[in-house]
Order: sequence, then structure tokens, then C-alpha cells
Amino acid sequence: MPDLLSATFSALADPTRRAILARLAHGAATVNELAEPFEISLPAVSRHLKVLEGAGLISRGREAQWRPCKLEPERLKAVDDWLSVYRRFWEQSFDKMAAYLEELSEGEANERPKKKRR
Amino acid sequence: MSARRKSVADNELLIVRTFNAPPSVVFALWSSAEHMKRWMGPKDFTCPEATIDFRVGGRYRAMIRSAQHGDNWFSGVYREIVPDKRLVFTYTWENEGPSAGLEMLVTITFEARDGRTLQTFRQAPFSNAERRDSHVGGWMQAFDKQAAYAESIAKEQAA
Repeated sequence: MPDLLSATFSALADPTRRAILARLAHGAATVNELAEPFEISLPAVSRHLKVLEGAGLISRGREAQWRPCKLEPERLKAVDDWLSVYRRFWEQSFDKMAAYLEELSEGEANERPKKKRR
Repeated sequence: MSARRKSVADNELLIVRTFNAPPSVVFALWSSAEHMKRWMGPKDFTCPEATIDFRVGGRYRAMIRSAQHGDNWFSGVYREIVPDKRLVFTYTWENEGPSAGLEMLVTITFEARDGRTLQTFRQAPFSNAERRDSHVGGWMQAFDKQAAYAESIAKEQAA
């Protein structure tokens, strides 16, 4: 079984599924309600919902007939946290890169460069 | 002329940065282990270990260390190398954690700008380049909006 984060990203990498999530952000909805704005069949919408549910992005009610779908914001928050960790990681690395480049150019000004490309 | 729009930028983590050095130097900071050890990792981390087999299909492996977070290894394979211009490699954290084992793809381009370098960095959490390239739509935009939604809903539910 793939890890949950991979499943979440995979689930989000589809415009229809993101549209479904955006709709659910306004409140719970049934499969029929969710299918309305899309030119796709009910079974196709159901498949999308299954993917979203598998990724922990939505949950579905127990009532056999209408099984309302509900957004699970925790999972989206996890994705957002994950991305912001990487943004910090690289931005801080690039700060260090800039400082190191400065060191390098100072070194070059003082002594002959060791490796010249051409 | 092609549009200046970065067509896949909104699918990914995108960080654009100008460095005060020519592209050959900025590129070398990625391609040489000795250079990489001098800057890789966030503030408060050092990068004591790095090995680089710099050719397409070659592997790199490195470790960043901090007092708080310990030793963290990551590794990957070079997919594309265009000296001083473009670099594509996979990127996977080996340690336990939320991203462990998730293979990401990093794409970096380097452009000369008046003796300086515009470095465009992208990172995508896809299992491979083929999957990434088959995707359309804006993740980052979606995340921005949805995270805001999610937080407001979480607050409502907590209230």
C-alpha cells in the first residue's frame, strides 16, 4: 500500500477531484449534488470520490442511500504543512548558497581560481 | 516567441532566486560534492556527507545534520544534465518521516542575467517525471485556496 501522502498527492492531481473538494469546502453534499456541475457519469464521480476517500481527503456518511460526502480538512492541512516545510528547507539552503558564493568570489579576488572552465 | 508564462510552475513548489555569480559557478554548486557540503540544508543544519556521481543515471547521496533533528539522509538519480543550464534529478528522503520513501523530482534551470544567475527551482512530489508531465492544473493554487478553506472549516468545527 502506498503511503498516505503519496495517495493524497495523487488524489489531488486531478482537476475534477479538486473541484469536488472545493465544492465540499462549502458543506457536505451527496453524490448526485456533486455530479451536477460535471459532464461525467455518476459512476465516474463515484470513482473520484473513492479515490478522495482512500486518500483521507473526504469521508462519507453511513446512511446507505445518500451517504453524504464531507471534506476532511486535516489531510489538506497535512499537504500544506508538507509543502511549507520544503519551501523553508530550500529557501534557507539558498540563503546559505548565496553566502557561500560570496565567500567564493572573495577567495577568487584574493587568489587565482583553482579551476577555470575555459 | 513563446510566452514567458511558466506553464508547469503552479503544479509545484517553485522558488526563483538570483545569485551574484555566473551560471557556471551556480551550476557547480549543485554538481560538486565539496561545494554542496558548504550550503545544503536549512539554517542550523550542516551537510557533513555528500557523494555525487555526476552523470545521467548516476546517483548522489547526502546527509544533513542538526542538533535538534539528527542525521537525515537523502538521495536520488540524475535524470538530465545540461551544463550551466539545466539539471533534473530525483529526490527521496531515506529517514522515517512524513516524506520517507516518496520520490520527488527536482528541476533547476540557470539563466545568465548581467553576470548574475537566475535560478529557477521546482520540486514536485510525483513518483516519476512521466507522471508529473501528464498532470495539468494548479496544485499550488489549489493548495493555497483549499488550505484556507480547510483552516476556516477546522475553526468552525472546533467552535
